[in-house]
Amino acid sequence: MGDKSDVLQGTLDLMVLKTLESMGPLHGYGIARRIEQVSENALSLNQGTIYPALLRLEQRGWIKSEWGASETNRRAKFYSLSRLGRKQIEKEIENWERTAATMARFLAPSN
Amino acid sequence: MDGIRVLLARFSSLFHRRRLDRELEEELRSHLDFAIADHRARGLSDAAARTAALRTFGGVAQIKEGYRRQRGLPMFEILSRDFQYALRQLWKAPGFTITTVLTLAIGIGVNTAVFSIMDAIVLRPLALPDLDRVVTVAEEQGRGDYKQVAMANYQSWLQQSNSFEDLAIRSNATLSLSDAGEVQSVTAGYTSANFFSVLRATPLLGRVYDASECVPGKDNVAVLSFAFWNKHFGADASVVGRTIRMEDHVYSIVGVMQKSMQYPSTADVFLPLAPTAPQAANRTFHSYLVVGRLRAGVTVQQAQSEMRVIAERLASAYPASNQGWSAKVEPLLDKINGDYTPMYIRLVLAATGFVLLVVCANVANLQFVRGIARRPEIAVRTALGAGRNRLLGHLMMENIVLGLLGAVGGLMFAAISLHLCAISMPDRVARYVAGWSNISLNGRALAFSFAIAVGAGFVSGLLPALKALRINLVDQLKAGSRTTSGSRQTHRLRDMFAISQIAFSVLLVIGAALMCKGMWSMLHVANVYQPDQSLTFAVTLPESRYNSDEKMAAWYQTSLERLRGLPGVTHAEVTTALPRGEDSWSDNVGIENRPAVPGKFQSAAHLVVSAGYFQALHIPLVSGRVFNNSDTLRSQPVAIVSHRFAERYFPGDNPIGHRIRMGSAPDEKAVWMRIVGVVSDVNYEWVDREDAPAVYMNVAQLPPAYVNYLLTTTGKPLLLASSVHAALAGIDSRIALNAMQTYQQYLNESLTGLLYVAVMLTVDAGIGLLLAAIGIFGVMANTVAERSREIALRMVMGANPQDMLRMILQRAAILTGAGVVSGIVLATALARVSASLLFGVSPNDPTVFLSITAAITAIALLVSWGPARRAASIDPMRAIRTE
Repeated sequence: MGDKSDVLQGTLDLMVLKTLESMGPLHGYGIARRIEQVSENALSLNQGTIYPALLRLEQRGWIKSEWGASETNRRAKFYSLSRLGRKQIEKEIENWERTAATMARFLAPSN
Repeated sequence: MDGIRVLLARFSSLFHRRRLDRELEEELRSHLDFAIADHRARGLSDAAARTAALRTFGGVAQIKEGYRRQRGLPMFEILSRDFQYALRQLWKAPGFTITTVLTLAIGIGVNTAVFSIMDAIVLRPLALPDLDRVVTVAEEQGRGDYKQVAMANYQSWLQQSNSFEDLAIRSNATLSLSDAGEVQSVTAGYTSANFFSVLRATPLLGRVYDASECVPGKDNVAVLSFAFWNKHFGADASVVGRTIRMEDHVYSIVGVMQKSMQYPSTADVFLPLAPTAPQAANRTFHSYLVVGRLRAGVTVQQAQSEMRVIAERLASAYPASNQGWSAKVEPLLDKINGDYTPMYIRLVLAATGFVLLVVCANVANLQFVRGIARRPEIAVRTALGAGRNRLLGHLMMENIVLGLLGAVGGLMFAAISLHLCAISMPDRVARYVAGWSNISLNGRALAFSFAIAVGAGFVSGLLPALKALRINLVDQLKAGSRTTSGSRQTHRLRDMFAISQIAFSVLLVIGAALMCKGMWSMLHVANVYQPDQSLTFAVTLPESRYNSDEKMAAWYQTSLERLRGLPGVTHAEVTTALPRGEDSWSDNVGIENRPAVPGKFQSAAHLVVSAGYFQALHIPLVSGRVFNNSDTLRSQPVAIVSHRFAERYFPGDNPIGHRIRMGSAPDEKAVWMRIVGVVSDVNYEWVDREDAPAVYMNVAQLPPAYVNYLLTTTGKPLLLASSVHAALAGIDSRIALNAMQTYQQYLNESLTGLLYVAVMLTVDAGIGLLLAAIGIFGVMANTVAERSREIALRMVMGANPQDMLRMILQRAAILTGAGVVSGIVLATALARVSASLLFGVSPNDPTVFLSITAAITAIALLVSWGPARRAASIDPMRAIRTE
């Protein structure tokens, strides 16, 4: 795995966590759609890639999943933040802001 | 923390893969359904909505694959899949599998058994903590002549040394147990109170005694050893607080030791060592053993140099008793193991290792044949795209599975062998082998067998697997290809394996034969004494009742008279040590009117015998006279010396008439004795190749407390046992008669260890030989099968069956010859190296070498006879047609 995808991976993880924080329990399709909407379709995301990310977060114990019924009564797997995940969001945001700030300093026109 | 959580999650997923797959399937389906519904809501047709949904999702198959990789442990899953595949493959070839597993089981089993024995009695005979810091301290008289320690010297060491956390002292005694129905002897270890703390030994029940109880008058407490507690009290936990009666003293039992505390291994009970003031001040009575625990960071060498300085200081302070004495510090473990046991066990372990090599060679040969049979399978899988490494992984996994199955069988084999070892070991001998009762298939043995199983699987499988993969795909896939023959290179490898099997088995058989021959000569070395016709037993006279020379001498006189009166007894004598019994002890010799040279010591074996001893054992008198009835407690003490004694200490002189004394000067037992006779030499040891000088004293003049009785008989010696018991009980019913057996049995006991070595080497050799025979049979049978077409052609061209028979046998002879020659070279080299271990036989014994070479060659040709016959009876027409 190259560095580039690592950053992307971390980004996707944080997007998922943030989505679940603001929206409450949601199934995979809902999360993917929400991310697309928030990013105003600027992110060309293969919706499928959301699933390995969800599994990764679940293995870390940051989110949990449960089978339930959607509004249309379709059986689906719903994900929600765990207590550990709630705490983790703070750290992830901090990490991201530090990275973003560093990048911003690099990209700023030198004077 | 995070990593562990993820690993656990991944690991647990392995156990419900199927359910998780189903759930993933359903989850993705629901995702697509939602997407399709959304797209349709935006006005797309069913088909277009579906296409759009799939497009935005990305590759479903890739996502699933990535998800599964993320979910489980890919490496583990591949291994477990290979494992299952290997099991299936082996299940499909039961003949091959059973043969291979049995072969491996034998190899792994003998190795595990020998390892367990070595682990228990050499590596950790005492399962006590920090044993590497426990040392023994002995006194050293002159150079390399180690003696036990005098009490006052120990006290000085204790005060003056800094190297030790603590030093403890102990001695052994045989006591008779008075409250049992039949009189019984127990071995007591008298120890200082700190003995247990030095060894870090804690009691299993109750407590140990303390320093306030190591005082005369307060010392009536006893701690039982685990084995004695089991045997005598049936492991009754309520034993603490009860009493035990020994030598008319009542001791209250205060504790029971742990099983791991087997030092000294013979001790049945531990009693407080409570020296009287004169005993504590004695510097000449060398009869105690000292163990100490080194301070952390102090080496044996440092302790040794400190002790040497202290010994020098004592020598100048007490020149009369300590001049010429030094002290020797040695690790306790070395002391327990002695010189020979680790060497013998290593010898057996090496032989057993060779058996494993023969096993591996055999399995490799089986694998070669199987590899050839599997070519079509491998070709098909290669053609279907299986990578070389994956195939190699499969084949190696199969070998490792075989190894592990072999290990399971091997552990059973080892358990049976260890059980046989345990039940065939006499109790009387086992108690001298520290750690014997610890022998078991424990965790270390399991780990060992697991390791050699994987190793053996790997070693025996790698070359055949590499060979099996090197195939010509096109040839192989063509119909009617010749699937039965191997390449020239494969043949060469297989030949080499067969040769090395024969070589190793020649080595093993020659080694075992030399050992057995040595063993045989040692078993019969004492035949001149007619040991089959003699009964022996040991007696220790209790100090409390036999407290004077008069009482002891009277016992000996009366007991011998009664025994001589028994029907069937030709001689009844006593001696402190029997020839070849390894029971004699050496003592200092002083010669009258010949001042001792300081630092130069004269010593001889110290033996006390009854008057008829020399006649009973047919020991010829060289000059002078033997003991007779005129030698009594009131007459001048006399001594008889051995021929070598006369040669060494009276060269060119007649020793008769001179006076000598045994022991150190201030010792009250060291009386001047006049030499009245010289007798032929007798060897009292097994391993000493030359007879040590000996001095014989008369039991009627200097009666000892411990003797062996020796009765020569006209009938079967053991039939006399009950009449002997009755006769002696008539004099004193509380004297225990220990170890009643024939003299031959007594001799065999001192050879038990060697006997075990010889038996194990023979077993190794037998297995090696059997496997080598199977190996060469396999190679020859395969040669004939592969060459049947060629043989048929030759016969069509006019060769007759006799030629074919000769051709095959010739080939067998070449392989065998090469194996035997290299085996002899190996055996000669190894026999030279281990010559010192093989008593009673020379390492280059032409009879052994020649007969074994002939026997193994004959066996190899015999097993090749079958395949050769088959070659000769091939029907040319049919062979050519079937090809």
